[in-house]
Amino acid sequence: MEFVSPEGLRLDGRRPTEMRQLRAEIGNVAKADGSAVFEMGNTKVIAAVYGPREVQNKSQQMSDQALVRCEYSMANFSTGDRMRKPKGDRRSTEISLVIRQTMEACILTHLMPRSQIDIFVQVLQADGGTRSACINAATLALQDAGIPMRDIVTSCSAGYLNSTPLLDLNYVEDSAGGPDVTVGLRLLSCGTYGYTLGPMD
Amino acid sequence: MGLPNASEDLSSEMEVDAFRRLFPLRYFERHLAESIRPDARPLSRARDTTISMGAVASADGSALAKIGSTTMLAAIKMEVMTPSLESPDEGCVSIDFHMPPICSPLVRPGRPAEAAPVVAKQLSDTISSSGMINLKELSLVGGKAAWMVYLDIYCLDADGALFDAALLSAVAAFSNLQIPTVSLDDGKIVMLPEEQKEENSEKEPVNKEKRKLTLGGIPFSLTCILHKNYILADPTSEEESIMETLVTVVLDSSNQLVSLYKPGGAVLAYTSAVQDCIALTRQRVKELHQILEEAISGMEID
Repeated sequence: MEFVSPEGLRLDGRRPTEMRQLRAEIGNVAKADGSAVFEMGNTKVIAAVYGPREVQNKSQQMSDQALVRCEYSMANFSTGDRMRKPKGDRRSTEISLVIRQTMEACILTHLMPRSQIDIFVQVLQADGGTRSACINAATLALQDAGIPMRDIVTSCSAGYLNSTPLLDLNYVEDSAGGPDVTVGLRLLSCGTYGYTLGPMD
Repeated sequence: MGLPNASEDLSSEMEVDAFRRLFPLRYFERHLAESIRPDARPLSRARDTTISMGAVASADGSALAKIGSTTMLAAIKMEVMTPSLESPDEGCVSIDFHMPPICSPLVRPGRPAEAAPVVAKQLSDTISSSGMINLKELSLVGGKAAWMVYLDIYCLDADGALFDAALLSAVAAFSNLQIPTVSLDDGKIVMLPEEQKEENSEKEPVNKEKRKLTLGGIPFSLTCILHKNYILADPTSEEESIMETLVTVVLDSSNQLVSLYKPGGAVLAYTSAVQDCIALTRQRVKELHQILEEAISGMEID
């Protein structure tokens, strides 16, 4: 199947190094301490941050830093076919872990000992790049909550199809079977700091 | 008793926010005595309500409803199934209500919110008994194929009156629903994508003409709090947590009573209180009906 036409256009008309349209909004969830909605093309994700607040499970409380928790879940209607088990499956658990570790590295946790910061991410529409959209939304939500951070993390995915490197894969390109990588980058530090997150097939 | 006096003395020295946290009931009663609520609403007025249709592009029908800060996202996905033997000419509607941890600081991951299954049950009972959906319209091939309608409602922000907002978003999603086109291919139902116009099928049962459901009596609701002799319409979550007696009235668009729900509570509802709640709901139904009509016509212009 042809993912890049001879003229150099992808299936949705983008150039190989062109990203999809980005949209972001903060403060959507009034009840949360911080919240954000992030859209990358048709992928739409909402993140909410609660914290710093009291640790719910006292056994996990840490006396020198804050506990960061993250939960990733997808809405039943977010994918093409309705999903039966939107959370608790392996993929969701893995992505929750990845987001938590990424954000935890940037939060100044030593400033908030014995407290807990909860990051909840919900995918409302999935069209490839949900992992990246979640990290971007989580960053915005943490900033909306005013949580002290040492850096800003942003993320995007890329892949390689028809001998062309492609930026910001959508669902069709992602499931084409070529290698893909999701990268999270910290912006304000010296620029060489990068996290490679995703599997490379 | 020293307590009432103590708070009276403190109220002149304390900051408003502190007083609100420490003596919430007294704070609210001071407002109610002036027939107003802390967010400056009169007792019988509901919060600003908005509906936006088609919020989820990948769903067959969807809507986002907001009552004040309470936000509900409803989306419908349709699948083909074999109807049951008892009702071979009817489809099926399955309603699921979720409260993910983003909606409220009180919802913990791993432990579902208490309110979620209660609202889910109330919703399915209300929608099935209101007669809004005619299940026979969901039939494709009698006895062999029918539509299974999955309605998922996600609460994105829980600030009181969850049932009202959920019902409104469900009704709006059904109004927005476009039934996918299907064709009969060798005895199997096949979904046709929107763009294809090929004539590769012999029969097209539920197509082109019948893409929208005809909705019968559309239910609208209003939740009220009863406190002493006050009735507060459309409570916020703060009001619900302090004054716990709730009454939910569901009326359909022809002002017939669909359901009346009062799950216990300290205050007993005498006939006059019930009648007042129903009168408030009647007013609210007119407002909601208009908001829904505007949202639908807004979509059609696009």
